[in-house]
Amino acid sequence: MANRSKGADALGKPEGERFEATVHPGVREAALSRVADLDLDRIPDAHGDVRVIITADELGELVRRGYEVRVVRTVPIAPLDPERIQSDDDAARWLEDRIAGIPREEER
Amino acid sequence: MYRTVAQLDSQMQSLATWFPGFFTRMQLPEASVQGRPVYALRLRAGTGPERRGVLLVGGTHARELMNPDAIIELAVDLFVSYTNNRDLVYGGKTWPAADIKLILDALDIWMVPCANPDGRAHVMTVDDMWRKNRATNAGTTCMGVDLNRNADFMWGVAEGQTSCSPCADVYAGTSAFSEPEGRNVKHLLDTHRIATFVDVHSFSELILWPWGHAPTQTTDPKKNFTTLPKPKCKPIQVAGYQEYLPPRDLQRFQTVGARIRDAIAAVRGRTYTSEPGIGLYATTGTWSDYVYSRHIASSALEKTYGFTFETGPQAATVEDSFHPADPTLIKRDAKSGMVALLQQSICAIELIGAQFFRAQTEVTALQKVRDKLLSTTDAGREWIALFERIEAPAVVAMLGDRELLSETAELVKRASALSKDDTTKLTDEEVDAGLKVVRRLRSRVEDAGLRKDLRAIEVQLDGLRGAAMSKAVEKLMTTAPGAKAPARTGSRAKGKASAGR
Repeated sequence: MANRSKGADALGKPEGERFEATVHPGVREAALSRVADLDLDRIPDAHGDVRVIITADELGELVRRGYEVRVVRTVPIAPLDPERIQSDDDAARWLEDRIAGIPREEER
Repeated sequence: MYRTVAQLDSQMQSLATWFPGFFTRMQLPEASVQGRPVYALRLRAGTGPERRGVLLVGGTHARELMNPDAIIELAVDLFVSYTNNRDLVYGGKTWPAADIKLILDALDIWMVPCANPDGRAHVMTVDDMWRKNRATNAGTTCMGVDLNRNADFMWGVAEGQTSCSPCADVYAGTSAFSEPEGRNVKHLLDTHRIATFVDVHSFSELILWPWGHAPTQTTDPKKNFTTLPKPKCKPIQVAGYQEYLPPRDLQRFQTVGARIRDAIAAVRGRTYTSEPGIGLYATTGTWSDYVYSRHIASSALEKTYGFTFETGPQAATVEDSFHPADPTLIKRDAKSGMVALLQQSICAIELIGAQFFRAQTEVTALQKVRDKLLSTTDAGREWIALFERIEAPAVVAMLGDRELLSETAELVKRASALSKDDTTKLTDEEVDAGLKVVRRLRSRVEDAGLRKDLRAIEVQLDGLRGAAMSKAVEKLMTTAPGAKAPARTGSRAKGKASAGR
């Protein structure tokens, strides 16, 4: 599937939509071992399913090859939620708190 | 909450500036593809020559955000525990202060918390599912190389989750080590004595070890990757291929993996699985396989045991699996696992050698007995496993008792001399000196399992009076711990038997 579109815009942001999905043999009983041939972004699955993050093109290719694709949800193309990024002040405070009371070289 | 690349760098810088007796920060030889500096941090207590090293790498895959933070936090936790002489507590798991002291006194702990800084920055500013580095791939708008497919082990063989397509998230790159971020890690392996390595990833709660490209077999050394055809951009072409792993090394991976698993489970009950890398899915060019394969590919290199952790469970969404809103508990599990890995990387004999002998000849001689003789039989490997179980607690006990340490050093020296001479026999005095040390150790440990192990050594040792070292080793190779002791051959044995009537 080397010709599939997975390009990026000028900022490096991937273009198009993408989905979290699980792949199943489908009515044509396509071999799950061949999913690896499609170079998809496979992620671990606690139940042993073939779980992937795929673009719309990739989803279409899987279906064309006879797989049943169960889309779990859309995965937004977006940066990490800023709420999940530590502020510089918090990062500095964390270290200060952890080493409180231990003499530093500059204090010796 | 996750640290930015700048915050990780800044914390390493602060630690090295404020506590130069413990931390050294060094800029690795190559900047990332976008020009960011990449840093390593070394943690050790005390001075002296280079020690046995452990290398912890995080952030290879950009979106797996927890692990760089866990590594830098571990560095601080170890330092604070050592400096304040306090136990290190992770939930239900307590690492005694003496254990942490031993780790920092015995090892050089090398850390590359953020091996792929461009990727991490991209996750925080553009796309939180980005995995690769940010290399520009000629002839395509698709960017990035998977740094955990780019190492020089079965490189470019498209087995399982490895690809030659630049658009794929598991793209192997244009050649092995085509990426500067990977060459930085290789540089540390090439220039330092790294005995153990772990590349910390997310997610799935796994402890992985070789092999990732094929199932493992322990019976046919000729079937190994050095002679296996490596078809570029195609899967392995040999049907049913299985890769050789010496039984001794398989045992070591299993034993250490089990210790890590137990140390994680003790924190809050999460059960990680320890298994070969292929258990997750087939791969080539991964760090842990490459690191372990180096001594096979080149006999001039020392063996390094390579592990991959996959921290954290699958969550409701893929984003929460890779970077949950609150990763605190997962990081705590991971840190306990890393402490276990560090502890298991200590070599008691090497440590005693470093303290007492100028040359390493005594240590080398005993390591040869281990690697060339004991490791070749089931019973011998059980003895190795036993010694590896007891060595860390034994050294902790010895470091608190200078006389015991000194007596043990004498024993190491004598055993080393005997190992080079097939004719000299173990005297009653030598056996008694050994028994004295073992019994004293037994009185100093509380763990019932360890006491049982020490008792097994005592029984075996007592039966070796009058035996030449070669015979003694032979007996260890044929008699597993806990099995019936061999018949005594020396004069004291006869005397004791009479006294028993």
